[in-house]
Amino acid sequence: MPFLVKLFTGCSLLCLPLWAAAQLDTLLELPAVEVSASTIRSQSTGSRSRSWTKTDLQRSAHTNLGEWLGEEGGLFIKSYGNGSIATTSIRGGSAAHTSVLWNGLPIQSPMLGQLDFSLFPLGFIDRVQLSYGGNSAAWGSGAIGGVISLQNTIPSDSTFALGFRSTLGSFNFQDHQLSGHYRKGNWGVQTRMYFRAADNDFSYRLRPDLAAKTQTNAAIRQSGLLQSAYWTPRNKHHLSFHLWAQGSDREIPPTTVQNQSIASQADHFIRTAVHWKIVQEKTVWEARLGLFRETIDYQDEQIHLRALTGFWTAQGEVEGKWAWNDQRQLHFGLTQLWVTAEADAYGSTPQQQRTAPFLVLHQRWGRWRLQANLRQEMVDRKFQPLIPGLGVDGLLTPHLSLQAKISRNYRLPTLNDLYWQPGGNPDLLPESGWSQEAGLRWQEQVGAHHWAVGITAFNRNINNWILWSRPEGQSFWSSNNIAEVWSRGVEYRLQWQRQTEDWAIKLTAGFDQIRSTNEIAISNPKLEKGQQLVYVPKQQAFGQLHLNWRRWQWHYRHTYTGAVGSLNVGELSAYQLGSSGLDYQLVLQNWHTQLFFQAKNIWNENYRVIERQPMPGRYFQVGLQVNFKRGAGPRS
Amino acid sequence: MKQFFICLLALAAVVTSSAQTTATFESFDLAPESFLNDSGDDGGFTEGNIFLPNSYTVTPDYSFWSGWAISNTTDTLTPGPTNQYSAITGSGYNGSETYAVTFASPESRLLLTEAAAGGTVEGMYVTNSTYTYLSMLNGDSFTKKFGGETGDDPDYLLLTIKKYLNGSLSTDSVDFYLADYRFEDNTQDYLVKEWSYIDLAGLGDADSLQFTMSGSDVGQYGLNTPAYFCLDNLTTLDRTTPVKDYLINVAVKVFPNPTANWITIQWPEATTGNLSLLNSQGQIVKRGLLLSGDNQFDLQQLAKGHYALRIQTEKGWTSRSLIKQ
Repeated sequence: MPFLVKLFTGCSLLCLPLWAAAQLDTLLELPAVEVSASTIRSQSTGSRSRSWTKTDLQRSAHTNLGEWLGEEGGLFIKSYGNGSIATTSIRGGSAAHTSVLWNGLPIQSPMLGQLDFSLFPLGFIDRVQLSYGGNSAAWGSGAIGGVISLQNTIPSDSTFALGFRSTLGSFNFQDHQLSGHYRKGNWGVQTRMYFRAADNDFSYRLRPDLAAKTQTNAAIRQSGLLQSAYWTPRNKHHLSFHLWAQGSDREIPPTTVQNQSIASQADHFIRTAVHWKIVQEKTVWEARLGLFRETIDYQDEQIHLRALTGFWTAQGEVEGKWAWNDQRQLHFGLTQLWVTAEADAYGSTPQQQRTAPFLVLHQRWGRWRLQANLRQEMVDRKFQPLIPGLGVDGLLTPHLSLQAKISRNYRLPTLNDLYWQPGGNPDLLPESGWSQEAGLRWQEQVGAHHWAVGITAFNRNINNWILWSRPEGQSFWSSNNIAEVWSRGVEYRLQWQRQTEDWAIKLTAGFDQIRSTNEIAISNPKLEKGQQLVYVPKQQAFGQLHLNWRRWQWHYRHTYTGAVGSLNVGELSAYQLGSSGLDYQLVLQNWHTQLFFQAKNIWNENYRVIERQPMPGRYFQVGLQVNFKRGAGPRS
Repeated sequence: MKQFFICLLALAAVVTSSAQTTATFESFDLAPESFLNDSGDDGGFTEGNIFLPNSYTVTPDYSFWSGWAISNTTDTLTPGPTNQYSAITGSGYNGSETYAVTFASPESRLLLTEAAAGGTVEGMYVTNSTYTYLSMLNGDSFTKKFGGETGDDPDYLLLTIKKYLNGSLSTDSVDFYLADYRFEDNTQDYLVKEWSYIDLAGLGDADSLQFTMSGSDVGQYGLNTPAYFCLDNLTTLDRTTPVKDYLINVAVKVFPNPTANWITIQWPEATTGNLSLLNSQGQIVKRGLLLSGDNQFDLQQLAKGHYALRIQTEKGWTSRSLIKQ
């Protein structure tokens, strides 16, 4: 395989720094039918990122992405409870400031600008990359606080596999998953299915001297199918297809100051994506198509309310990558997005067309690399802000590296911001602003010990922040570009690993100090200048210890979340959560069996993530996974 | 001293008035279990000697109302905004059928007209709407049940009534608790679920009354408790010599309404009219002269919101509501 082809495919798959790719080249050979969904744009030159492989994800495949990211730490998950709505705040941004990509396509709701992370079964994801900081120049609207990229790949370690995983847990939790793949020659198919249900009828105490209460109307039921197909019709052509259909029914539990709730919400979606990639000696061409349909059916018979909303998204993307020479690459492309949505409050059915050409230049000088991005989006033929980005990575010494980035970022108003009546404002401007970050990372291998320490500082100003407000004299709330938000912070990271023949140990820790403040005093809603945004902790920390010994794997994960402001009850107290798990793996010829046990909130912390929403105390999950594998994957 | 002053005012009211007029709202010919939330071009509802401003906005995409509505719905069980027009009593005062409902956020106004204009309001009966009452009793997705998680929270919902006279808002007010959970002994906590009389004579002469609601369940977005209350049997004292006439029959037209920039006022009278545009605080933000026929006014400089158009002539005055988008 020519060097450049390996470089392109390898980098796009694993998102490794280019300067490191040459060293790792031999490790990056891909199976013939695998098509990477990521691109050169995924490379977070100048900024920090964190990624998890299928092995990491598989251990918690019975959980959802929101719950799992919350336990991993390094970002804030605003969760309403087990199985309930969960959104993100990264680097002090709002939920709509996290861009989420599925196989390279953004999947945030155009109505809300955000995603419910409780609807992502971890078993449907093969790789997660979390890139911190703004990256709108690469990924467009919403990539302000961070980008979470979810990818699917077909396993390369076998030609045929069937797997079953079953988990039972507290509060009548049950999760059952089936998966299988088959590969032959230049094609492969993979199927995954899951069913998950829980009553979530946990006990909680409002005060130590009061009797325990039991959570009601909190049951969830989810099921889904992810069908993937991979085909390499000719040596340089790679095609992949994914269809993800899922249904979720959940009850909406009462708040702690509500006697009863009988509300429920059904979320259904079908997401399809096609990816075609042509890899040539000096160029790589890619085309993506995505068609998404999602509906939300909220019902509350108690108040005679039923709200049915839904949207269609169709998007296409073509891009080319051209290796100018060994040191320089040019990447260019065009994305086209069409959305339409239905909601009673819209009256009519709004549509939106978005077109965005983009350009990326990658330049390498020895141990340094630079990435310059430029993107110009048009919405319904109206030009949006020109979005540039410039990032640099480099080695200062053999063990000390520097990362720095400056970028402009933006978020388009959601369809609700524009068209919800009354109050929607079609004249809204996009939120936009500049962000800067710089970081140092030191890493060294000392015998069997590997150390890495990092520190990153960031600063971000967002103007025209969209807020639903009630101007003086107006009787209804409306969306307006009235706020300015200044976010800044410092992130500290530590990692230590040691590996011997029998055992391996890995310690990871992080601490974030984040200020994200409103910079304009507003009367309705009542916001003071300098006030920290609600549900953005000023401090958060995490620590993880993973220990592998022969067939056993044990982990402990601990997170600290500082106090957060709320909408109604003032400050919610800081809390610490610990979770632990023990796995035992048994491999007999083609059979791979894993037994696992996990304990969540093991210190039985009484805490609130959201005001008036109780959270469960200590609870447990136990499960079994059995995989049958046959044959080794073909190598290219 | 204050009581003495109030007594003097009350005495003066008795002296200058010859009769009382009570707005019972029974004159509205409502079908059973129905409500009126659209007063059309009238800009409000007239009953007895009071005028209750109302605005009903219809666009191709949505409609909403503000100000006052007239209702005879009797649902005391259904929580939520779909039952926003019902009184928790299930009827008007003293078992009558019809009553008025308002959403007093940020405020609600009531104008005195005819013989009561510039005079005194003796009193009125109020109660909670079913929506508000059940929200305070049980809580909902956005509001708390009063007493909070433990039953000990000192919650309350307060109705405050002030008057406007000659364009000035009074500093004195009459306060009435529609719910009060501030007692040390929780058994004394209460939610109003009967028609309760509020004596307003102490406010003295008034052109209009202003109603605002405040409470303990308040957050960044203001009062969470639904700011509705129901009104019935408001009694005004009639003056022997009305100080102001109300041009209720003048067919003045204001369009477009809501408007973004300009309005046209079609003035049918041969004589001129003096136009005043008042914001929700009762402040005059624009003046103008109306000539017979179409008159156009530029509102581009005004903030979005609700306004009252007041037209004064030698014969008296009339008003219309206006929404600037």
